[in-house]
Amino acid sequence: MQNNIAKFRKDKGLSQQELADAIAVSRKTISTVETGRFIPSVIIALKIATHFELSVEQLFTLDDND
Amino acid sequence: MSKQDIKTEEKFMSHNAWFSIFMGVTLLIISVYPMLKQTSAPLLFIGGTAFLGSFFMFVIRGGFTWKLGYRLTYKDEFLNTIDTIAYKHVVLGLLFSMGAIFLLSDELALNVSHSMMATFYLALMCLIYGVSILWQSRD
Repeated sequence: MQNNIAKFRKDKGLSQQELADAIAVSRKTISTVETGRFIPSVIIALKIATHFELSVEQLFTLDDND
Repeated sequence: MSKQDIKTEEKFMSHNAWFSIFMGVTLLIISVYPMLKQTSAPLLFIGGTAFLGSFFMFVIRGGFTWKLGYRLTYKDEFLNTIDTIAYKHVVLGLLFSMGAIFLLSDELALNVSHSMMATFYLALMCLIYGVSILWQSRD
């Protein structure tokens, strides 16, 4: 699974900590989701999408291995 | 869950990982050195003192842990996941080390006490837990 969270976060001028605070998760959660080492739950995916006012599909995309 | 709780959990996990590594190294010294040198009393005293010192430093400096209360799991999803995986690493490491010792060292049992082996296994568990947490939570 790939995601565009880092791109949207930087576009909004947010740091990882600021995004983490906004959706009430740890900074490590944001860091590892962005690098693809941690696949978040639907709840976190929806929280991030809601924060950026996007759909989950715009943030996360499946790749060939999924 | 408040922002402060999450930051406290994050800080607690980081401290916990380093404490586990420090405790693991201390226990490893206590268990392995006497096996090699056939002596135990002085090192056991130094190791025990170092361990107790580090433990109380951890409790005093980590006073924030009282805010958390006692919980079996972390509330933050990522921290809870890596904590669970770290325990799996601990179990696997323990199984492999016990298997290796079972297969390779029949004569070891003649020279080493049960308490030393128990300390050795505990050291391995602490080291694996601490290293696993640090490795999984890298940026």
